[in-house]
Amino acid sequence: MSIDTHADGDVTGDEFAEDGRSAEGNKAHDQESHHGGGEGHGGGDDGGGHHESPEVVDGRQRMAVWLFIGGDMVILAGLLFTYLYLRGTNTEGHWMNMVGYTGHPWSYYNNILFVKGGSLPNPTTVSVNPVSAGFYWLVTLVTAVSAGIIWLGEKRLRASRDAKAFVPIAALATVVALVALVLTIVQLRQIPEIFVTQNDSAYMAYTSYSSAILVLEGSALLHMFVLAFLGLGLSIRASRGVISGDKWYQVRLVRLFWVWVAISSVIVAAVITSVNTIH
Amino acid sequence: MTTTLEHTAVEEESKGGGLARHQNAGTAVACGVLFAFLFWLVARKTLDPTGEAFNDQVTTLLGCGWIIGFWFGIGAFNGPMRWLLGRDHTRADDLYYAGHNQGRARYWKYTTDHKVVGVQYIIVTMGLLGVGGMLAMAIRTELIMPGNHFVNQQVYNAFISLHGMIMILALIVAIAGPWANFVMPIMIGARDMAFPRLNALSLWTLVGAASLLVSVAAVGGLTMGWVVLAPITDQNGVGMDLFALAIVVFAVSSTVGGVNVVCTILTMRTKGMTLERVPIFVWGAITTSALALYAFPFFLLVEVLQLLDRNVATSFFVSGGGGTGWLQANLFWLMGHPEVYVILTPAVAVCFEIAAVMSRKPVFSYRTAVAAMVGLSGLSILVWAHHMFTSGWAPTLGGPFMVTTEIISIPTGLFFLVLIGTLWRGHVWMKLPTIWMFGFIANFIIGGITGIYLSDIPIDNQLHGTMFVTAHFHYIFVGSVLFAAVAALAFWFPKVTGRFLDEFLGRISFWLVFIGVQVTFLAMFVSGLRGMPRRVSSYSVIFDHTNLITTIGAYIIMSGMLVLLGAIIKSWGHGEPSGPNPWHANSLEWMVPTPPPLENFDVMPVITEDPYNFREEMVRS
Repeated sequence: MSIDTHADGDVTGDEFAEDGRSAEGNKAHDQESHHGGGEGHGGGDDGGGHHESPEVVDGRQRMAVWLFIGGDMVILAGLLFTYLYLRGTNTEGHWMNMVGYTGHPWSYYNNILFVKGGSLPNPTTVSVNPVSAGFYWLVTLVTAVSAGIIWLGEKRLRASRDAKAFVPIAALATVVALVALVLTIVQLRQIPEIFVTQNDSAYMAYTSYSSAILVLEGSALLHMFVLAFLGLGLSIRASRGVISGDKWYQVRLVRLFWVWVAISSVIVAAVITSVNTIH
Repeated sequence: MTTTLEHTAVEEESKGGGLARHQNAGTAVACGVLFAFLFWLVARKTLDPTGEAFNDQVTTLLGCGWIIGFWFGIGAFNGPMRWLLGRDHTRADDLYYAGHNQGRARYWKYTTDHKVVGVQYIIVTMGLLGVGGMLAMAIRTELIMPGNHFVNQQVYNAFISLHGMIMILALIVAIAGPWANFVMPIMIGARDMAFPRLNALSLWTLVGAASLLVSVAAVGGLTMGWVVLAPITDQNGVGMDLFALAIVVFAVSSTVGGVNVVCTILTMRTKGMTLERVPIFVWGAITTSALALYAFPFFLLVEVLQLLDRNVATSFFVSGGGGTGWLQANLFWLMGHPEVYVILTPAVAVCFEIAAVMSRKPVFSYRTAVAAMVGLSGLSILVWAHHMFTSGWAPTLGGPFMVTTEIISIPTGLFFLVLIGTLWRGHVWMKLPTIWMFGFIANFIIGGITGIYLSDIPIDNQLHGTMFVTAHFHYIFVGSVLFAAVAALAFWFPKVTGRFLDEFLGRISFWLVFIGVQVTFLAMFVSGLRGMPRRVSSYSVIFDHTNLITTIGAYIIMSGMLVLLGAIIKSWGHGEPSGPNPWHANSLEWMVPTPPPLENFDVMPVITEDPYNFREEMVRS
């Protein structure tokens, strides 16, 4: 390989320092800039990062965010595949039902098993109702609003270069994301379960429909936690001056992910709305 | 006399690191144990002990506690928390995290220097191979003759499962881990990886996952093979929970690592280092990383679903609630077959690299080599159902999947074309890396051709689940990938240590392992062809001769690997000094001092030619 300039070294094994680093290596380091920078979490600006420009570091970080989103897309595709596959196969007709007991298990515990010392009646096939698609769209709407707020905040920051004005916007987006998070928890609690018994144990179980909904909403919940973390971070960083009018790149990185979460929420809501029950 | 500037630098450096100054592998283990205990305690106090899934829930939470504590103890949360609080790393912090002036202690810390991470990967890989190898020997010892001698079927199955998964993990990182970290950034003229802290995160997360995986043995093991097909997983004890959690954590590690490698290659190449000028190993690193980004999220997903089925009574894979085991099989093999090429591609790329340097010739048809690696990766995501030919799932899709699987032999054939074309009429320097590379070629031919048979549905119907399949993939993994991994180690060992890997011991090791592989797996082919099933601890007497031969072969392999271990230990401290460029290669990693300094280059190089433009006759010694 022909190179114009290169570091030349001719160090033999005998010259190694005890820790495996040559004296020449240390010299080379001392002459050079510091290590690090270019890291996903903001080492690139005041941390130095090999004297690279913020634009270069930003480009690299943006690629990383896109790749992480790509990985997240694969997981979403897997989740939707799971939902559609289970619905399509409808194993033994149990997509939305299961052999168990209607009603709340406490009624069985209190009235039959413990109080009266009796035994459970024979189980029957119990069906569950589909979750509310409207509620799903509500959560999606709230998520999309939070994404819109952060996007508007970014645009305003880039236009006005006023980092202080960005603080309340980031805080508002965070609060809206937290609302979405709480709504998702409410939604999770509404997923229908069925009281079943097996091997002398009684417990609440999910049909394959409820299971697929559970994991989709669980994934959404995880996303909301990440958004809340990122939103809080942006707020604190902007208030501390780490994000400034000239250093707005991280806001864009966060916005990319935020928008993706909103889009994924729309996709899930659309699938659940249009492909719900078997018939 | 100390200048004011130097004094300031030392003073500044001494302030760096913050909490990381007190964190290392010891604190990671201590915090892991502490958190695991706390999670266990809380789980025992708060969960319903009469619940069907009580033991699973407690075990899963214990595992979560371990990994969270481990991350906390090693310092993985420092970066995110500092980002959250707006306290970004200073220059002194970055220096500290890079392990500057920390001696050997930096190998036990959350060090960001890519070369340290590369060495850490070497150690982790050797550890995993050691544990997996011991399990292999236990398996072969049990199979030395018909009947149960040392362990019962359950324990034997636990050995099989752990051996399989540990070896898969080890081989996934065996080449990409050490060398995509240690040499790849230097090869492309970068000062470090794109995201040094993510690099450390990837490594230590792997350590956390591996420890979880090994701990499966302590809670009753795993008795259904490493593919853990549902719904039989329901019958396993709590070992399944730790296993699934280990895979989830591993998927996080590989995703983070994959993102880092891809970003590094695409955005950090030095001036003039076009994608057509990068050493061929770099293409191997990027294709394997990109493929991992596609494959391992499926691995994560399928194990999350397993955990949910076991812990909160969902019905993904349980037919009573509308689930199906075929969902698990599909999701698993969507990952499972690309994973084979995640393992294989860097091995092939290493052999291209060694063939070119050692024969003093350019890589034959560089673009074909690249196209073969990219094509193989692309095709690998379209073949997953060939693992399910005999399962009864979608028989009408058998034909198309047979075709896609057989098409894979085209890019695989191109690998051989490129390798042989590169070596053809070259003045091949038969040093240690070269002979291990030739071992790769020989074994890969056998492993590859037997794979073509297995892709054919009628033959697969006969041979599925037999020792023939086991022999086939061991020729790929042991005979090919492991040989390439040792070739890579021998090739870049001088760059890591400044010393040659002991040539004499290395050759003894080669011949022992090479002969051992033939003895072991050719005999295993015969067992399979005669109908011996996999995963049984006892067998009919008609298989006794071939099993005895296989076990003898396994012991020969083990002795060869022990000799190799001895060679590594001896050479690391007292090997023959090699100088910075012992192979007279042209790529950048050989142009920097040995060992490379902290940021690799004093002055950033500008590339004007490809790395295989050999003008001078190699000086051979």
